[in-house]
Amino acid sequence: MGHGTAGVVLAGGRSSRMGQPKAELEWHGSTLLRRTLGVLARSVDGPLLVVRAAGQPLPQLPAQVEIVEDPEQGLGPLQGIAAGLAALAGRAQAAFVCSTDLPFLHPAFVRRVLSALTDEFDVVLPVARGYPQPLAAAYRVTLAPLITDLIAAGDRRPAFLFRHEHCRTLRIDDAALLEDPVLAAADPALESVVNVNSPADYRAARCQPAPQVTVQRYGALAGNGHRGPQTVRAATLSAAATAVGLTLDRHVIAALNGDQISRDGDVPLTTGDTVAFLSADAGG
Amino acid sequence: MTRPPGGYAGKALIVDVTGPDATTLPLDEAVLRAYLGGVGLGAWLLHRLAEPRADPCSAQAPLVFVFSPLVGTPLTTSAKFAVVAKSPLTGMLNDALASSQFAISGKLTGHDAIVLTGRAAIPSVLLVDGGGARLVAAGDTWGRPAAETEEVLKRRLGRGWRIAAIGPAGERGVRYATISHDGRHAGRGGLGAVLGAKNIKAVAVRAATKIGPADPDGVLAAARDLRARSFGPATAKYRELGTLANLLAFNAISTLPTRNFTGATFVDAPKLAAEELHELRSATRSGCASCSIGCEHIYRGRNGQTARVEYENVFALGPMCGVSDPDDVLAASARCDELGLDTISAGGTIAWAMECAERGLLDAPWLRFGDGAALLRALGEIGSGEGLGALLAQGSRRAAAVVGGGSEEFAPHVKGMEMPGYEPRTLQGMALGLAVNARGADHNRSGAYEADLSGDYDRLAGGDAQVTAAVATEDRAAVMDSMILCKFLRGVFDEPYREWAELLRVVTGWDIDAAELRATARRIVLAKRMFNLREGWVPADDWLPGRLLSEPVRLGSGRDATLTPARLREMIDGYYAIRGLDHDGRPDGRALEDLMLMEGAPL
Repeated sequence: MGHGTAGVVLAGGRSSRMGQPKAELEWHGSTLLRRTLGVLARSVDGPLLVVRAAGQPLPQLPAQVEIVEDPEQGLGPLQGIAAGLAALAGRAQAAFVCSTDLPFLHPAFVRRVLSALTDEFDVVLPVARGYPQPLAAAYRVTLAPLITDLIAAGDRRPAFLFRHEHCRTLRIDDAALLEDPVLAAADPALESVVNVNSPADYRAARCQPAPQVTVQRYGALAGNGHRGPQTVRAATLSAAATAVGLTLDRHVIAALNGDQISRDGDVPLTTGDTVAFLSADAGG
Repeated sequence: MTRPPGGYAGKALIVDVTGPDATTLPLDEAVLRAYLGGVGLGAWLLHRLAEPRADPCSAQAPLVFVFSPLVGTPLTTSAKFAVVAKSPLTGMLNDALASSQFAISGKLTGHDAIVLTGRAAIPSVLLVDGGGARLVAAGDTWGRPAAETEEVLKRRLGRGWRIAAIGPAGERGVRYATISHDGRHAGRGGLGAVLGAKNIKAVAVRAATKIGPADPDGVLAAARDLRARSFGPATAKYRELGTLANLLAFNAISTLPTRNFTGATFVDAPKLAAEELHELRSATRSGCASCSIGCEHIYRGRNGQTARVEYENVFALGPMCGVSDPDDVLAASARCDELGLDTISAGGTIAWAMECAERGLLDAPWLRFGDGAALLRALGEIGSGEGLGALLAQGSRRAAAVVGGGSEEFAPHVKGMEMPGYEPRTLQGMALGLAVNARGADHNRSGAYEADLSGDYDRLAGGDAQVTAAVATEDRAAVMDSMILCKFLRGVFDEPYREWAELLRVVTGWDIDAAELRATARRIVLAKRMFNLREGWVPADDWLPGRLLSEPVRLGSGRDATLTPARLREMIDGYYAIRGLDHDGRPDGRALEDLMLMEGAPL
């Protein structure tokens, strides 16, 4: 077995109500697909997959993202989930599977859901904001054959999986989700599961401000009165850099929450993030 | 002998201080071109002159001051010298650099290197100038700090003498004692103990000749160009805050080793930050001779005492020991200067002892993490040999072997050399660099952290990119430390090997290109490894302390970073493959032919 957790984004689907591919929709300087993948990248320790329809064009994605083609279209989300889980066989134990249209998805939500997937369960299904959220849920990778069998039998709705005798499903509601203090602080309204299905949803999402993040410049970048933390609104690293008068380049890198270092301006930011900008020549 | 190439004297002075007797060793142009100078030429000289497996503090063990072709030119940062010997701390090859006028005057004694062997009958000072080599009694300088010794000797000897000296730690054989000149230390690996074992308090040099470059106009043009570039953004960090600028940045990215590597962030880091000290305590800024960067930041402590402050000494005497009071850290830093102690090894060894004391492995209830007074007391005992001093003077590896109780697992060293302030679990390329480097745990001979900090790779996962970076930065260091150019300049070169070759061309007259210089880098790295093999290196020496491979470290994000033995092994295997070494890290015979170390090779 490889890593423990993986991320799967379902980018196929007709987007019929939206009238245009959701994956390419822009939100505060990034596409929804790029943003969703970036959030998952911060939340899992294994592969990142995008499941798309055969030949479906996608916006530019980070190099480490794998693309899996859904062999059959029009079979519903279970088909995409099965394709993603099958592609992870032997490489991860579980995956957080979500749709591409979740602009407010927070890493704390992803981690909370994945952490609930103990040995006793095969699926962790959030029942958040009043609805089951099969496309913001955690699945054991070994479910792929069962899902394939269900689809073959014509049981294409996720509900068939969750009530199947060989699928142990844990449903967690808002209160249970928010028992996690990190999630409760970062996303108390559980907006992580708010999706955009229609142009009206999309317009409403775009009216929401970019996440509030804390930014600090270090070392040679902290001269001329730039010491100390600043609070800014920014949905990407490049937006955060711009907000404090910097550009990510050969000489400037960013560290997110004391974790990974990047000069990729498209890395998404979420509420409560802390960004450290430092000289790329840090070291002796 | 034919005329030496530009920038070279073409010979080394070998002084047996027992007599003293001095002889001249002609240096073949082929050797100079193959090893350049500095650490490269030093490694070659040590191969040829050191008796295999000799005790580094024995009389016959040589200690080499090596200059370089660039020394004395107007090229910025070129006034540097290397000191090379077998290390009493690691038992392997050790090279340490220091800067300023000693380098220029030492070379202008008419030698590319000055080699000391033997043992003087009484504490002495070695003088080298146009009149040759001679000893004078160290007299009242014995027992004094190096800086005081320099002052006394300058007054006594008169104008023109430049002095490198040891402090009390070197006299007492502390295995991480330094050799100091003008406040700068050839710091790592205990070279001060090697000099002290020869009963030599100081080496004084005075210029006696001229050594010109092959193309003076070309050198002048190159110097103007390099000087202009040295004022750019690639050196801003060093000019504005010095290397201490790393402290807050490293804390922000969870790579600041704390309390003997039990953490990677330090809650009180802001108190010790360059930004804070610069605002409240900045005394002055300084630089080496022939340098346009001026990286030295000097701060004033509680009692008006000043200390040169670098990231490494603040890391080692601050977060590593859990000490957060800047006055305590500045005082400890100044104390290390007085005694002539390598701050990294001193801090690392004391941090290990603090953990031992807290675990009940050492009977020293006064020694606790975070206690600045305890830190200062421990340094004093190391300097005097009293209390725990004799044990801690051995360094953490030997001390852990004595104390036992599992303390070997958290002794913070590689090959016996204490670790610098780069957390290997959150900089996994650097983990490799630290493990395989010939000198031991060292951030100046491997800059693999650059890949980790580039943002281009996953610093928490290691991998091929980090292996490549470890090799590349080790090669780069080998060349820069041999030419010699300060590595703080490294960011100003767009095509470093081509540009370095051009600098060497105008200085030496050699028709040298980037490809030749890359081969030179590999040769120097291999020569160091070969010396270590000769001295008893085993594959287990290319490894990290147990703690770093068995305990995760918490990131600021709340995630844990883990470095597994399997991942480190994989990277080491990759490193060996690129270096052309076998699975056990040994080269084949063909590689050795290039080293000019075989019988009949030029001497």
